[in-house]
Amino acid sequence: MPAKHEEVRRRVHPYQESLYDVLSKRWIFVGLTVLPAIGLFAFINMLPMLWALTASFFEIGALSPEWHWVGLENFRIVLDDGKFWASLFRSTVFAGGSVALQVTAGTALALLLNRDFKFKRVVRAIALLPYIVPTAVLSFIALWMGNSRYGIVSQILHQLGLIEQFIPWYGSPELAMFAVITTSSWKFTIFVTIIVLARLQSIPSSLYEAATVSGASAYRRFVDITLPNLRGVLFIVVLLRGVWMFNKFDIVYILTKGGPLNKTTIASIYAYRMAFDQLNLGRAAAVSTLLFLLLLGAAAVYFYYFEPSEEVRVE
Amino acid sequence: MSIASSWEDGPLGFWYELPYQTQKKIKNVLLNVLLAIVLVLILFPIYWMIATSLFHSNDLFTLPMPLFPSDPTFVEYRAVLETEVVQWYTNTVLVSAGIVLLTTTAATLGGYGLARLDIPYKKTFARVILFGYMFPPILLSIPMFIFWRQLGLINSLPGIILAQTATTLPFSLWLMWQFFQTVPYSLEESAMVGGSSRFRAFVDVALPMAKPGMIAVAIFSFAIAWGAYTIPSILLTDSSKWVLTLGLASFTEAESVLWGQIMAASTLFVLPTFFFMYYLQKYILEGFRAGRI
Repeated sequence: MPAKHEEVRRRVHPYQESLYDVLSKRWIFVGLTVLPAIGLFAFINMLPMLWALTASFFEIGALSPEWHWVGLENFRIVLDDGKFWASLFRSTVFAGGSVALQVTAGTALALLLNRDFKFKRVVRAIALLPYIVPTAVLSFIALWMGNSRYGIVSQILHQLGLIEQFIPWYGSPELAMFAVITTSSWKFTIFVTIIVLARLQSIPSSLYEAATVSGASAYRRFVDITLPNLRGVLFIVVLLRGVWMFNKFDIVYILTKGGPLNKTTIASIYAYRMAFDQLNLGRAAAVSTLLFLLLLGAAAVYFYYFEPSEEVRVE
Repeated sequence: MSIASSWEDGPLGFWYELPYQTQKKIKNVLLNVLLAIVLVLILFPIYWMIATSLFHSNDLFTLPMPLFPSDPTFVEYRAVLETEVVQWYTNTVLVSAGIVLLTTTAATLGGYGLARLDIPYKKTFARVILFGYMFPPILLSIPMFIFWRQLGLINSLPGIILAQTATTLPFSLWLMWQFFQTVPYSLEESAMVGGSSRFRAFVDVALPMAKPGMIAVAIFSFAIAWGAYTIPSILLTDSSKWVLTLGLASFTEAESVLWGQIMAASTLFVLPTFFFMYYLQKYILEGFRAGRI
């Protein structure tokens, strides 16, 4: 510690120490550490959630603040609506496709980066960039690159002779879902890469050396050392990415507004329209309550079947 | 190895006659080529954003479009700077700083408390936190709008900081809880046996060791804060309070979409953050290492 720092510290020491003593009293210490987080969580996460859960039992006038109790009516109407089920199906396709793509590509990229090569620091930094590109920026770049008349993607494919005419990636009913999944995965794959690469780095290299010496093939080393060590992080990554992609709104909404022909109207966009176009807050709340319960159920099943009973940490 | 032996007779059989070192080298080259392809896929959209921002506007709408701006112009940047972009940029910086600070502080303290202290139901709580993500954020913004209006927090930067933290806090808290479990408690114990108080042991012993975790949390919350769109679009209605993402979206609402301006603003928006990724990658990779549930 620098001498000056030490000097300052000695002078404030008596006061600081008695302050620290007060802060160390058990309940004050518990309150100081856990309470800010719990309080924040209660106020900004739980409270709005409880509001929405409650609102799903009411009919709420868009312009008047009056709430009329309607019991399960909102749920009945939503569950009777074929468009809801269609949007739910699209959310499942969007989330399932995205998670599959992001987890495989993300893990593969992490394995590629976890080797020795030249310019490692720069290459790794470049590989991590997409994660910090804002979703809105990515959406606008993608819209521009996929433009139906001037899009560079179509232009390059056309020059290579792969396509006859320019493709409206986000405007074609057949391709829109695929295009949206690919675009969002450009960014969110890197979340998987970061977490998996971080885990890979904490596997001691002596393990691989020992395995190589005893004649294990690259395939066996991967199956017996790498995979068991990744199981815990892959479990949590699949859960988080699944939940996040299922509830995703911004990127899909900017790219397609739910079109063309509603082919990308996922459940969050369906709920958004319910709330902001039809101004039916109660019913929108019912939609999100259903989505919440569905995810909760899926998470329970997921935990039951896949939770690693103990952290497999081969070290 | 049964698989390998059956392959030895196949058309790729020559592979097994190569010396081990040569095999290894060829594999490495192939993997590097693969990595290079991935890097191109990652860099091209970023390059195209920058290139588009430097094209003359008539270049943008000719076919085939040139791949390089041979005669770069800063016209679009000048046009962008004449809008409210500086105000939006400032707002974004302030909002992001607020979110990063609030999230990192609450998550570090909370994560430490959950990992070290004997609190009833803490494990249940740690899981419930992640369930906070299961409610669609777009719908959370409606009650937030109603509550925040009562509190006078609509169109205010503190209001948006508080609201957006709802999306950064759960994972950050969970991550710090995980992280403190990998920091050995024995060090703090011996500090306390040596006479230091509980709080001093936390500040002087545990905190420095949690630095990578804190940086990881800061990066995670920054990445979300910097690009926040959904919640700000509901809570910020006054264009002088907008963040950059909302400003960008407004460029697309003009009669013809101003691609050059959008890409110029995006470049200004994105480039500075790339330095973080370069300088902090070591901490990012250390901080995210603790991942299990």
